Amino acid sequence: MRLSDIMGQLDLATYPIIALVIFLAVFAGVCVRVFGKRYAAEIDRAATLPFEDSTRPEGGAQ
Amino acid sequence: MSSQTIQSNATSKAGHAAEGPMERFIYDDATVRKFVAATVLWGVVAMLVGLLVALQLVLPPLVNFTTESGSKPFAFLSILTGFEFLTFGRLRPLHTNAAIFAFAGNAIFAAIYYSTQRLCKARMWSDMLSKLHFWGWQLIIVCAALTLPLGITTSKEYAELEWPIDLMIAVVWLGFFGTNFFMTLKNRRERHMYVALWFYIATIVTVTVLHVFNSLAIPVSLTKSYSVYAGVQDAMMQWWYGHNAVAFFLTTPFLGLMYYFLPKAADRPVYSYRLSIIHFWSLVFIYIWAGPHHLHYTALPSWASTLGMLFSVMLWMPSWGGMINGLLTLRGAWNKVTADPILKFFVVGITFYGMSTFEGPMLSVKTVNALSHYTDWTIAHVHAGALGWNGFMIFGMLYWLAPRLYQTQLWSKKLMATHFWLSTVGIVLYVLSIYAAGLTQGLMWRAFDAVGQLQYPDFVETVTTLIPMYWVRVVGGTLYLTGMILCAFNLIKTWQTRPATYEEPVHQAPALAKTYQDAAQPASRLEANVEFGHKGDVWMQGWWHRRWERLPLKFTIWVIIAVATASLMELLPTLLIKGNVPTIASVQPYTPLELAGRDIYISEGCYNCHSQMVRPLWAETLRYGEYSKPGEFVYDHPFQWGSRRIGPDLAREGGKQSHDWHVRHLENPQQLIPQSIMPGYSHLLKGDTDYAGIGARVRVMAMLGVPYGTMVNEGEAEKAAREQAATLAADLEKQGGYANLKDKKVIALVAYLQRLGTDIKKAVPEAEPAAKKSAAK
Repeated sequence: MRLSDIMGQLDLATYPIIALVIFLAVFAGVCVRVFGKRYAAEIDRAATLPFEDSTRPEGGAQ
Repeated sequence: MSSQTIQSNATSKAGHAAEGPMERFIYDDATVRKFVAATVLWGVVAMLVGLLVALQLVLPPLVNFTTESGSKPFAFLSILTGFEFLTFGRLRPLHTNAAIFAFAGNAIFAAIYYSTQRLCKARMWSDMLSKLHFWGWQLIIVCAALTLPLGITTSKEYAELEWPIDLMIAVVWLGFFGTNFFMTLKNRRERHMYVALWFYIATIVTVTVLHVFNSLAIPVSLTKSYSVYAGVQDAMMQWWYGHNAVAFFLTTPFLGLMYYFLPKAADRPVYSYRLSIIHFWSLVFIYIWAGPHHLHYTALPSWASTLGMLFSVMLWMPSWGGMINGLLTLRGAWNKVTADPILKFFVVGITFYGMSTFEGPMLSVKTVNALSHYTDWTIAHVHAGALGWNGFMIFGMLYWLAPRLYQTQLWSKKLMATHFWLSTVGIVLYVLSIYAAGLTQGLMWRAFDAVGQLQYPDFVETVTTLIPMYWVRVVGGTLYLTGMILCAFNLIKTWQTRPATYEEPVHQAPALAKTYQDAAQPASRLEANVEFGHKGDVWMQGWWHRRWERLPLKFTIWVIIAVATASLMELLPTLLIKGNVPTIASVQPYTPLELAGRDIYISEGCYNCHSQMVRPLWAETLRYGEYSKPGEFVYDHPFQWGSRRIGPDLAREGGKQSHDWHVRHLENPQQLIPQSIMPGYSHLLKGDTDYAGIGARVRVMAMLGVPYGTMVNEGEAEKAAREQAATLAADLEKQGGYANLKDKKVIALVAYLQRLGTDIKKAVPEAEPAAKKSAAK
């Protein structure tokens, strides 16, 4: 009895569909959150992170 | 800019727990400088080898050109085409590996080492690991450059390196680079992880998973191993790897690079940070499912390739979202683009990203793929991606980094502008000519005349037509390479004007507090509702996502789960469900001699030009014979379906020509087919077959489940191989062929070629057909 014999007996066809639904749901959740109002302030600050590398005293972008 | 920075710092502090003590640190730019140097060096090498293989496709007609007086004025050029270790089949993997893992690879590391430190406000965790990572990676590249021309290869595209080098890659990538990166994240002094870091995390974990699972193999010796997967399964694994290597080695790290360096160069934040987050998650969720589109109309089950196609088309959304996000970052700054070659590089790079990510899903549509597959269209597509997108992004980054890393002015802005125009013209010439070549050949393969016969039955006709377009490619490639050399020159000149000692500014930032107070869980905004509704509303406000977004460990685990689930769902059915690979009773394992011949076929890189897969299309079955069935490949460790036909398909080659024809053709193809551009393999008529090593190969195959029966006993396989070789050599002599070849490699190779695709025409063997059937799976 090989592993493939056992797997062959199982009905695996529904699992990809379930996985797909879960993927879509999580993705939708991410979208909802990202475009939510509460996230706005954090987003604005996060977007400027690349310009914060000049933590040296004189400050300013390069 | 500075006032904005201070202000945003203040916002971030508000409402959070107290910070830790102020700390001082210095960024490690020495490692970045090393990776930059390696990028430039390997870039020149990769493109030089690329130019050489491009020349190898156009030179043969010139080499064989004979004047009326009978002299061959260009025969000296055969030095580029006829050298055993530098044939197209051996060099092409070297070119692809050098371009992807050496040129793009080192550039990724430079980008990650530079930006991660600054985004985390922390030095790389361990200088020792940084050193080991850098030198380990260069050692791997040197090993690749030595083994591939020697014919030491697994033949799995972009994963050709043999198992000892594979182990080194795993150690250097995850052990040195991964550890160093994740520990830096852990010790960062900035709570929020900028989106570029997310792309880097996805890169590191996914490439590890892809590399490990695709490279699983059982060693025969230090330089030879057999893939644990066979046939259809091996093909699925390989293109799951191949496709996602494009996604997670050539796309996600470059998007991270784009989201960091483009705002820096344009001096303005990314157009929409929201869109960049959506871009990230949709790539992680969707990309991994799309691999099977590389195998349309092959012996892969059709539902799998349809699913691959569907997910590929869905990729349009995030890819174009990302491209638009990049281009709109330059809103209001287009006047800068006209003046600054760095921004020009970025704009063209991002535009190529948009074009190749539009084209990729289009090529995955089955009807388009039926035309494009196995033609140069694929080659044009990958060069638009690798030279257009990756190359231009790398150049933009290099020119932006150079003055900052070497703490001086760029030596020549004019030369940089020249480089930009040379590469732009070069890449356009390259892709246009190769698109034309792909379409031309694809249409010629499927052209029928008025009575329903193939219009171009002679395969070589469909190749010689392409030679002028191949010359245009040589010109385009030369321009691109010239640009690369100018870049190297410019950077060296810049480096020469560096200060005597580099200034190492000390930065300071507060450490992150050990305990972090999350923003309070929001209250439900609903009034009259059940408990579940309230909980749902709280969840919908996304407070949970914000929490784990700044937790690198959890974030990484989620990425792994997303990638692994999608991969399993894609791969498991073909790996495990019996019904998907119907067995064919008459298909038998290769004889020991044929197996040795097959290993020569692999070693010479024949798969780089010859596919072994007749698709179920009328034009193909008419040209090559019966279409290929999944059950025919159950003993193929690894599969040899190929991805490009510069020569004809060989899946049904067995029995089509005499032994003598094959031997003479291998010795010098042009003595039988004058227009052929195939290199000669006269060394196969001189080199001896490794009979002593055949036993070990057969035993490893048996270990992988190939039913070799008593053949695994000491000496059995060798004896059988010698007997078959003697018979074949005798037949060859009877056909008027060369004598005394029975111990030469060419006999083993011919034995393999004569076997190809013949099993399904044979009667089912008498002995226990039922047992054979189950063993065949």
